[in-house]
Amino acid sequence: MLKYWRILLLVIMVSASLLAIGLKPQYTGVQVAYVYSDSPAKGTVQQGMIISEVNGKLVQNSEEWDALVKNYTGDIKLKVNKNEYKFHVNNSELGVGIEVNDIDRFNLDFGLDIKGGTRIILRPKENASAQMLDQVIGTLQTRANIYGLREIRFLPIRGIGGDYYVQIEASGVGREIVDTLLSKQGNFEAKITKPVYMSGGKGTLDLGDNKYTIEYAGNETITVANQTLKLNGTFVLDDVTFEFVNITSSGDIILFGSAYRGDDIELVYTDAQHSGIMPGKNYFEFYFGILVSEKGASRFAKITSGIPSQLDLNSGDYYLKDCRILLFLDNQLVSDLRISSNLGGKAYTTPQITGSRETRETALEEKLKLQTILRSGALPVSLETVSVGVVSPTLGGGFMNSIALAMGLAALVVMGVIFARYRKLSVSLPIAAVGFSEVVIILGIAANSDAFIWGPVLILNIILIALAWWKKYEIDPTAWIGAVLIPMFGLLLTWTIDLPVISGIIATLGVGVDSMIVIADETLSRKAGEERKMVYTIRDKIKRAFFIIFGSASTIIAAMVPLMAIGIGFVRGFAITTIIGVLVGVLVTRPAYAEIVEVGTNREKPHKEKHKDGPKENTDK
Amino acid sequence: MKFDHKYLLIIPVVIFLVSVAILVNQYAQTGELFKRSIELKGGMVITINTQERLDTAAIEAALKNKFQPINVREIRSFRGYGTVIETSSDLKSDDIIAEIKALGFDTSDNSVDSIGPSLGASFWSQTQIAIIAAFVLMGIVVFILFRTFVPSTAVIISAVCDIFMTLAFMQLFGIELSLAGLAAILMLIGYSVDTDIMLTSRLLKESEDKTLNDKLRHAVKTGLTMTFTSIGALIPLLLLNISPVITQIATVLLIGLAFDIMNTWLTNYAILKWYCEKRGMA
Repeated sequence: MLKYWRILLLVIMVSASLLAIGLKPQYTGVQVAYVYSDSPAKGTVQQGMIISEVNGKLVQNSEEWDALVKNYTGDIKLKVNKNEYKFHVNNSELGVGIEVNDIDRFNLDFGLDIKGGTRIILRPKENASAQMLDQVIGTLQTRANIYGLREIRFLPIRGIGGDYYVQIEASGVGREIVDTLLSKQGNFEAKITKPVYMSGGKGTLDLGDNKYTIEYAGNETITVANQTLKLNGTFVLDDVTFEFVNITSSGDIILFGSAYRGDDIELVYTDAQHSGIMPGKNYFEFYFGILVSEKGASRFAKITSGIPSQLDLNSGDYYLKDCRILLFLDNQLVSDLRISSNLGGKAYTTPQITGSRETRETALEEKLKLQTILRSGALPVSLETVSVGVVSPTLGGGFMNSIALAMGLAALVVMGVIFARYRKLSVSLPIAAVGFSEVVIILGIAANSDAFIWGPVLILNIILIALAWWKKYEIDPTAWIGAVLIPMFGLLLTWTIDLPVISGIIATLGVGVDSMIVIADETLSRKAGEERKMVYTIRDKIKRAFFIIFGSASTIIAAMVPLMAIGIGFVRGFAITTIIGVLVGVLVTRPAYAEIVEVGTNREKPHKEKHKDGPKENTDK
Repeated sequence: MKFDHKYLLIIPVVIFLVSVAILVNQYAQTGELFKRSIELKGGMVITINTQERLDTAAIEAALKNKFQPINVREIRSFRGYGTVIETSSDLKSDDIIAEIKALGFDTSDNSVDSIGPSLGASFWSQTQIAIIAAFVLMGIVVFILFRTFVPSTAVIISAVCDIFMTLAFMQLFGIELSLAGLAAILMLIGYSVDTDIMLTSRLLKESEDKTLNDKLRHAVKTGLTMTFTSIGALIPLLLLNISPVITQIATVLLIGLAFDIMNTWLTNYAILKWYCEKRGMA
């Protein structure tokens, strides 16, 4: 057996690939999709691990998981990858801080164009550094998690010119969510309208302990604290930024005072006591509270001090006169509220955000989006959408079937052409089988979490080539390199199977078949005179065949390398698959095929030699 | 056979010149060497998949009132019919789909692809760099393999011919170059060089006791088997119409392989034979 060590290597690597594609360490449980940075399990539980039990109870799918851990507090026991871990959960809002998915059937990661979904590419509007991009992705991930988007992936992409992009891939997420939730920069600002009543061209800006005089200098210009301002000008007094926004018809000055910004928000309330939906006349109003910092609260006190109260005749309540709190998100007004008169001049730490929508669902959605953006914080740069791809998920099953059908038909055609040429099943059948094994190995390398398979295979391969060398079987450096390199690829590489990758597989198959034809051809086309020392000659010819094979393989790899540098995933998947496929072909399957052909011809030799004109000669004429 | 092989070169040279003329004409008319798909220039494509055929003319007429620019065409796929709406990436896909739905068509199975013009331009410049870099690298590898000027150049020339002729053919039949097509073009370099290397090594490296014609006959048999298996494998992919990506790759490769038969056995062979005769090898 050891004599045919290259065939053995192929068998080992095909089996390993089948295991890498299909074998799972565990089939019951849920797969960890994301661990929050403030989760008690951070650092212990990692993405991709399998959680099978919660407090001794079996978890089968993500719904069961959600039911078990939602708003959980106290000690929690998790069985992760068959090990027990105990964590203490003290934040009921965060819970255990782990997002999970159901376990996939195969270890293959299928692309959106196969399973359906949305691919969106965002570009920072300003120049962004790699660190900023990481920050962007962290914030986006947090938003996705808070909002409850499952199976969403964020990838940083670097273009040739050093510009950065963020690629979002998600199933079941539309562009709308990206535009209204994810790509929003999330700059939050609460501004309060501050009226300054003027008489005789003078008025007092009351900021609690300090009072400043404002003078009207005519021509929409005011002077305050030795500064002269035009309309829409800004000035800072007592740590509060003011904007001069209006002069009323009665000559009073209206200022905007900035009370809170995004970094003043310490907590966004999501519990039923502080947040909810109220039905209105023909709309639904949502509300939720936020907790702001002491600094923000004291700015609120300064701005609202010294403003007279006014009775609202409809409700009978007193409100501050001409004074409203306006909340802006990315310079868009999201909430506009009057301020109750008893809050005037007080350090108010729990302002409310409200808004209304036509239906209950849209109101809930809007509330959740705002809460999500405020909780996740602002992105360091603003983003713009530069590409959107939406694929309907119906492609899935039918698509895989037609791919299989196409592959099957292609295999039949290839076998037919080769059979027509050589009239030997012993040549055409192995070409189909070896071609198929090539596809399996490529998929086996692309499979994820397969280290526990490729690791032992690497060792097994090294033992096998060492034994073959020890027993003085033929030396073949190409196959040696393959035996070591391919399992290493298996260990290190994982990529998504999408349409370009499938095209790459088809392309390599074509090249593979071409090379096998060259081998078959060189081996079978012998002159009668060479028949005596045939084994030597076949080896010699296979060597020559390998010159052609190496030549074409290296040119293809050379042509594919520049594609790897093209920024966006599409072509890269094609290029990497083709390169790996060509390497698998040259280093593993072709040495094995050469050996198969060699074995086949040697077997035929003894009884064919009795006839002086074997049918093989026909092939050369 | 007293036939001067140099005359063989006339056919590929004429076709090559025609191809260049087509591309130059295209450039003169549109300012671009060839038509690019939206991936490479920016824009939006909405595909609506249905079992029955939709009235593309009616859809186009209805959409033209509200949306500009718009172009509606139909494709066949293994799942039935696809109505393809091409427009600018500034418009909202949901609005257009809603409009078609309002016409009474089933739009539930739809897909949208939108590329901003700046990203499209960036793809395009990267694509051009990739093609040139691929060629340079391929050329270096070929030169290292043969280490002789004429045979290496012959291999490269026939690859260049394959690509120019394929691109020109695509223009004639209105096939736009997309990222998938680009991948296919680069793949074509591989397939093209494959048979050329085989031919060259057979003619130059095979044992001395065969005549050039014997070697050629042997090489033609191998080479045609290689090319026909590839063509044979691509035809089911094309006929099944699995997805636009795979269809484009299969189409471009099929066109390219057909040209490759000519460029390997006329262009490359004629140059090699002239080279062998000069060196007294024939």
